[in-house]
Amino acid sequence: MTSIWRAREFSTVLILLAEVLFFAWYLWPEAGRSHPFLNSGNFLLILKYSSIYGIAAIGAAVVIISGGIDLAPGAIIALTTVITGYLFVEAGWPLWAGASVGLMVGALAGLLSSWLIVRMRLPPFIATLGVMGILRGTAFIVTEARFYDLSAKLPRNWHIAGISIDWLGPAVMIALAIVFQRLMTGYQWGRSVSAVGGNETAALFSGIPVNWIKTTTYVLSGTLAAVSGVVLAVVQGQGKADLASGYELDIIASAVVGGASLVGGRGSVAGAVLGALIFGVLRNALPQIPGATFYDRLIVGVVVIGIVVMDQMLTRRSGNA
Amino acid sequence: MGALEFKDVHKSFGAVRALRGVSFSVESGEAHAVVGENGAGKSTLLKILAGIARPDRGDILLNGVRFDHASPREALAGGVGMVFQERLAFPNLTVTGNIFAGREITFAGGRLNHRAMRERTKALLADLRVPVDPDLEMAHASAATAQLVQVARALAFDCRVLVLDEPTTSLTDAEVDHLFRILQELKSRGVTLLFVSHRLPEVFRLCDRITVMRDGGFVGTFDRASTTPDAIVRAMVGREPPARVERAMPAVSAEPVLAVRGLSRTPWFRDVSLEIRPGEIVGLFGLVGSGRTELLETIFGLAKPTSGTVAVRGREVVFESARDASRAGLALVPEDRQRLGLHFNLSIRHNMALPRAAREGLGAIRGAREQQSAAAQVSSLGIRAASINVTPDALSGGNQQKVVAAKWLATEPSVLLLDEPTKGVDVGAKFEIHNLIRERAAAGMACLVVSSDLPEVLSLVDRILVMREGALCGELAAAGATDAAVMQLAAHEVAVSA
Repeated sequence: MTSIWRAREFSTVLILLAEVLFFAWYLWPEAGRSHPFLNSGNFLLILKYSSIYGIAAIGAAVVIISGGIDLAPGAIIALTTVITGYLFVEAGWPLWAGASVGLMVGALAGLLSSWLIVRMRLPPFIATLGVMGILRGTAFIVTEARFYDLSAKLPRNWHIAGISIDWLGPAVMIALAIVFQRLMTGYQWGRSVSAVGGNETAALFSGIPVNWIKTTTYVLSGTLAAVSGVVLAVVQGQGKADLASGYELDIIASAVVGGASLVGGRGSVAGAVLGALIFGVLRNALPQIPGATFYDRLIVGVVVIGIVVMDQMLTRRSGNA
Repeated sequence: MGALEFKDVHKSFGAVRALRGVSFSVESGEAHAVVGENGAGKSTLLKILAGIARPDRGDILLNGVRFDHASPREALAGGVGMVFQERLAFPNLTVTGNIFAGREITFAGGRLNHRAMRERTKALLADLRVPVDPDLEMAHASAATAQLVQVARALAFDCRVLVLDEPTTSLTDAEVDHLFRILQELKSRGVTLLFVSHRLPEVFRLCDRITVMRDGGFVGTFDRASTTPDAIVRAMVGREPPARVERAMPAVSAEPVLAVRGLSRTPWFRDVSLEIRPGEIVGLFGLVGSGRTELLETIFGLAKPTSGTVAVRGREVVFESARDASRAGLALVPEDRQRLGLHFNLSIRHNMALPRAAREGLGAIRGAREQQSAAAQVSSLGIRAASINVTPDALSGGNQQKVVAAKWLATEPSVLLLDEPTKGVDVGAKFEIHNLIRERAAAGMACLVVSSDLPEVLSLVDRILVMREGALCGELAAAGATDAAVMQLAAHEVAVSA
């Protein structure tokens, strides 16, 4: 089975490469001018913004593999920027302390979702839809149409040990992807997540602590969304209630393009991160094509459907359907 | 000329050759059985007949006309009605709704003619002597009613060929009698029956001719009058069945490893007390709905008893979950392997590792150990699979059942609870599973086997406990027990009218 997953992630890598090559060719500049897409500065920009989706997509993939769905990440990201911003800017706390409270709120939001799902037996879609509204609403209530300007208090052109703060998101994303890919494939916790998503009743009959596993997935998703929120607050220098609106769907789309099946039981953390990069490249490159501005949401939609359809056709052909 | 003729039908799914040139014919108005082990290709044949799959090569002729249909709907329109093994019903619709689903009677303009459909349903149900309200929601119908509603669905559109796929698996004997009376009647009216079943006694009771399939190929068609069940079994298996494992009777003096005292869970069962000693095989017989499955699940910690106690090795235990029970040395092989036993998104290797790993916690997986253990289970249980890395859907029913048994045997339990361990399993695998249970018992495992299969109970177990309407109502030593004695205990009021 490991080889099948590898193959699936391999095809996601190929799609990403094909996409990069396409834009490199399409946006090839006239002689003497620098390439607007194919340069290291632009790649860092793509990584920097993709990481906000990618980090949360790791959690989303785990939830989806367990057979659930989480609609709260966008709201958690916004609330985290607001909390971190408030504590850092208004209350004068150190940044790490403000960020820690933000992470804790994210974890608690996940705990609330899982409580609604596990104890109150709400369908995950409804539970997390409600939690999404509550959190987004809380962010608006706290900020009252203000926003917290972290950038004024953060060092200008911030470098830590000679490395630009722009690398914070990508570094965190890659580290977390490695850790969770390992946890999902080499540890009983990850196996249990797949088992719960594949057949919840059989998992219960096998002695797997199903409720506990579900709780861990939502707490993880909430916490990772909060990590995305901290990265966004630092990178963007803002704490604002209307940030990251609609991100939950892009995050879910990243996981799905990366191989996660919405019926549960299948998917990959590394794939979800690659999926976030595929969308990151699109979001970066499409605006550079003259006249494409109005088409970018449409193209993103077509790409989601196209990749998933292609994947299904490939699986069917290899006889795994 | 046959009513239904299969001519050199071939079908492959990927690399699997499900049918390799099947040819036989079904005479008009006869009851024709198709038997074979799981994986023999019966399901594929039925899928083709129903229009769900298309043959790669070959023809099906219906009354001499090439029957080439693209969908189940066209198959029905062509006069072939199917009654499937699974309860393929819409639980949210009424009985009427189920019968007419997809082919509703409408007024001109498309509005549903509820009255006409209801009247037609009433007539059909009266014809089949099914005393059920046409407005009953299917979710509340019994398995037998659901089965007969499928028959009614096929008859609603005047099918000439009625195909039944394992229609009796979830029926009681009395219900089987009722179904068979109706089938006989349909036959006398000239309906051709194609009957697929694992249960040879039923095949011999109903059918005029029997076609045997093996490994996707046609073995032969036999007249009922000139063959025997043993001959059919040999044709199905293609080899002599394995020798029966003999074991010594366990010592009666030993301490019970599992003792259940006054266990109740309303409304399922009440005041059940039983003891099992190491090495014993105890059968729990009863009709469907007598509370046996619920009893096993409660012992195994999947549900809380309303009163009573469970003791393992003399110590009282309270299980909060299956994991607790598994840690105490219990294992449950559930009845519904598809729903309760297997993960179809995981390889059989990972399936077999789950309970043991769940018991040990959420830490790192020891891949090498898992691999070794899986390979050992596959060879010791004779699981026929291309590799331990395939998912369970690539296995036949019998081999799937062995995987479920294997995943629990890997925990090395001292008490093995088995719920209908050979349901829907072919003859060869049934034999192997029986031998497996005998072997484990000989090695000291205590086995509690729930079964509705009376011959199985009589040949496999040492003692028979009989359950009726949620209470234990008797115990018999298997050695001297007869069918009639056990049935009388299990069903004091259900008259067996064959």
